[in-house]
Amino acid sequence: MAEKLVPVVCPWCSVGCRFYIVNVNGYPKKIEFDYEHDTRNHGKLCPKGVAAFQYLRHPDRLKRPLKRVGERGEGKFVEISWEEAIKEIAQKLKEIKEKYGPEALAFLGSERCSIEENYVLQKLARALGTNNIEYVCRMCQSTAVAGKGMVLGHPGLTNPFEDILKAKVIVLWGYNPAATNPVFFGQYIEKAILDNGAKLIVVDPRKTKTAKYADIHIQPYPGTDLAVALAMLNVIITEELYDKDFVAERTEGFEELAKTVEKYTPEWAEKVSGVPAELIRKAAITFATAGTAALLTNEGVNQHANGTRTVMAITEMMVLCGYFGKEGVMSGAIPGAHNGMGAGLMGIGPHELPGRFPLHAEEHKRRIEEAWGFKIPEKPGITYVEMIDAILEGKLKALYVMGTNPAKALPNLKKAEEAFKNIEFLVVQDIFLTETAKYADIVLPAAAWFEKDGTAISFERRVQRSFKAADAPGEAKPDWEILVMLAKELGFGEYFNYSDADDILREINRIIPPLAGATPERLKKNLKGCMIPCPDENTEVPRLFVQGFLTPNGKAQLIPVEYKEPGEVPDEEYPFWLTNYRLVGHFHTGTMSHRSKSLSKRWPEEYIEINENDAKRLGIKDGDLVRVETRRAALVFKAKVTPHIREGVVAAPWHWDFNYLTKDVLDEYAKMPELKTAACRISKVEG
Amino acid sequence: MSKKIFIDFKRCIACKACEVACEMEHGEARIRVFEFPDLTSVAFNCRHCEKAPCMEVCPVNALSKDDDGAVVLDPLKCIGCLMCGLACPFGIPKIDEYNKIMDKCDLCAHRRAEGKLPACVSACPTEALKYGDINDVLWAREGKIVAELKDIGDRTNVLEAYLIR
Ligand code: SF4
Ligand code: SF4
Ligand code: SF4
Repeated sequence: MAEKLVPVVCPWCSVGCRFYIVNVNGYPKKIEFDYEHDTRNHGKLCPKGVAAFQYLRHPDRLKRPLKRVGERGEGKFVEISWEEAIKEIAQKLKEIKEKYGPEALAFLGSERCSIEENYVLQKLARALGTNNIEYVCRMCQSTAVAGKGMVLGHPGLTNPFEDILKAKVIVLWGYNPAATNPVFFGQYIEKAILDNGAKLIVVDPRKTKTAKYADIHIQPYPGTDLAVALAMLNVIITEELYDKDFVAERTEGFEELAKTVEKYTPEWAEKVSGVPAELIRKAAITFATAGTAALLTNEGVNQHANGTRTVMAITEMMVLCGYFGKEGVMSGAIPGAHNGMGAGLMGIGPHELPGRFPLHAEEHKRRIEEAWGFKIPEKPGITYVEMIDAILEGKLKALYVMGTNPAKALPNLKKAEEAFKNIEFLVVQDIFLTETAKYADIVLPAAAWFEKDGTAISFERRVQRSFKAADAPGEAKPDWEILVMLAKELGFGEYFNYSDADDILREINRIIPPLAGATPERLKKNLKGCMIPCPDENTEVPRLFVQGFLTPNGKAQLIPVEYKEPGEVPDEEYPFWLTNYRLVGHFHTGTMSHRSKSLSKRWPEEYIEINENDAKRLGIKDGDLVRVETRRAALVFKAKVTPHIREGVVAAPWHWDFNYLTKDVLDEYAKMPELKTAACRISKVEG
Repeated sequence: MSKKIFIDFKRCIACKACEVACEMEHGEARIRVFEFPDLTSVAFNCRHCEKAPCMEVCPVNALSKDDDGAVVLDPLKCIGCLMCGLACPFGIPKIDEYNKIMDKCDLCAHRRAEGKLPACVSACPTEALKYGDINDVLWAREGKIVAELKDIGDRTNVLEAYLIR
């Protein structure tokens, strides 16, 4: 029995934990902790990391290409050969392109595939003549990318993990790392609090495992965070708690911002958000007078139709206090998946070139076109949620989905399902028959993360290599290999001349300047990887904004922000605020975690949290079945009666059917849908 | 000297990585995380008692202490009579229905033999679980408290120091 330890990067969240897969003759037997190398997780893992090998050999794994024989969504398929599948896809894509033009085609990349695979996918879309290329960042980080982009010039985490150990105050806003990034929480945040005495401010309508450690816990109604942020800006400015030298030297727009937030007093914010004015004042003072502070935001801030504004306001708090460019400070948002940052940097975006340059950055465009040997289409593509409308309007005819599950992740799922039922041609390549794949014409079996070499970028901006640790089942192939087969069949062979992941990474090194130094050789030699930007093999950038911000003139832009409500707010008919959250034992739409037996056993089903006073009023007891209804749909949940959620708010984990309830209204800057706030009514299911 | 798993419940976030890690090694989790309504949580496994009642009652001497002080079960001797389970004040030894013998935490004997930490300790992302000589762990904790007290004493205004903390 030849047992081998293969070093891998965790396939779930974006902390970038490393461990080994114990490989026995190609079979993944279990994981082993990596206590030998210098890793960011110091050997530690959360339950998902520990269980990460379980879904690999699940009997549901796709093993051969499939062709639909039943109705869309029914899930009836027959097995076909790779040759047949690729031929049919190529032919259909060509046909649709000829008949309706290249804009009738669209592609979805994946934060769960490697940077190499995402790079190849967007290149293929562009070779076919369309910029209709998206990934789930639109529904995860797009508001953070837009908001931080406008204020700071870069959305990335500013400092290495260790720097939070020196922070005097930590603000976790709409972010529950004890559940979503346990290793980052345990190895860094918790140590800062319990061992180094940092104060903790948590903003979350629920009392989470993170909020358990809070000195100040602010519980706004979901999506009214913007009111709290504006009031904190108001306090920081009116009480002159900001860093005057920093504001004078390194920012622009202070006067305008000060004038705008004048009216947003804590008393005003109390009326909007339900948070006592005094608590907001106290939080603002604690934050601004700390000396060093870390402020991390996540989906509770991002996933709203007012998300970009909230991100801007919160980021401006950091700017006003001058908390940049030093140790002991940190600002950032946390992509959900292990390669959330990496996929975006590859140019998986309808308005972006590889390197996240805007589509019309002429100089980069020309440079990339020259290297590729073909033209990049002029017309910007459409964004993720807008694709659904485009399908329903008959403008979008074909969708090619790589490793992602929109039929469960999109808001207002009934409408999304309608679109998938009516699309002309749908291809899904994935490791399981996802909800989306059930609608597909052709399903292609992909190799899972541990079954191929690949590179990922963690939320620390760290580029790391993961290695092939198991054989893929049946005829499943790495996503990039599938794409190369398709590209050849489409007649683009000369542009897709890759024989392994290293070939692709070397091209990325040439095309994307901040990744020039993240070469295969460097990443193989050094498992800890390097922090982007890494312009050459000896360089990395641990701290952003030490010299200046990455805006065109190097100054932080204090853009004035006005209040805007989230995408839906309660009224008489639908009186409750409905929101959602993640469980430590599950991941996104559950494609992998629902199939991990140690996880699904411990986190078996969905339920809805309701405040004990609300429950009493409605005659609901713990464990009762309740009907939760929004203007889109109604679902039945088991009630969990608790004091740990504020009155008037109900919340459920989103890994099951939650998105039938959400509304597909969009943020005006980032086109983020309102995934985190809906208005609902609740009644007990009798009998 | 006896080694133990020290449980620092202040750090526990109820993530259950310990349970999953144990399950991965032994098929069934021998450590369990208990959660309380006030959000406190604590992971609990065999305490490997100095005067272990389970060892005393076992009629076939299937339980013994190994070199690190872990109370381990010899599956070839065990007859599944459940006496140890009854005697254990924590109810730790459980019946393994499939093999008809008892199953209990052995501080991951096979991992220790390879110089590795017990699986639950290896995983625990918050270091709520620490493995080591129990006196070392306790001394370290005592030392930390004393250092904090000294730190406070060093300041001129003790009352104010308390208020800052
Ligand atoms: S914290 Fe994230 S990266 Fe680390 S083990 Fe858990 S899921 Fe994996
Ligand atoms: S020491 Fe080993 S057997 Fe005991 S609880 Fe921990 S993982 Fe389980
Ligand atoms: S792994 Fe650690 S933090 Fe998680 S439940 Fe177990 S003891 Fe608690």
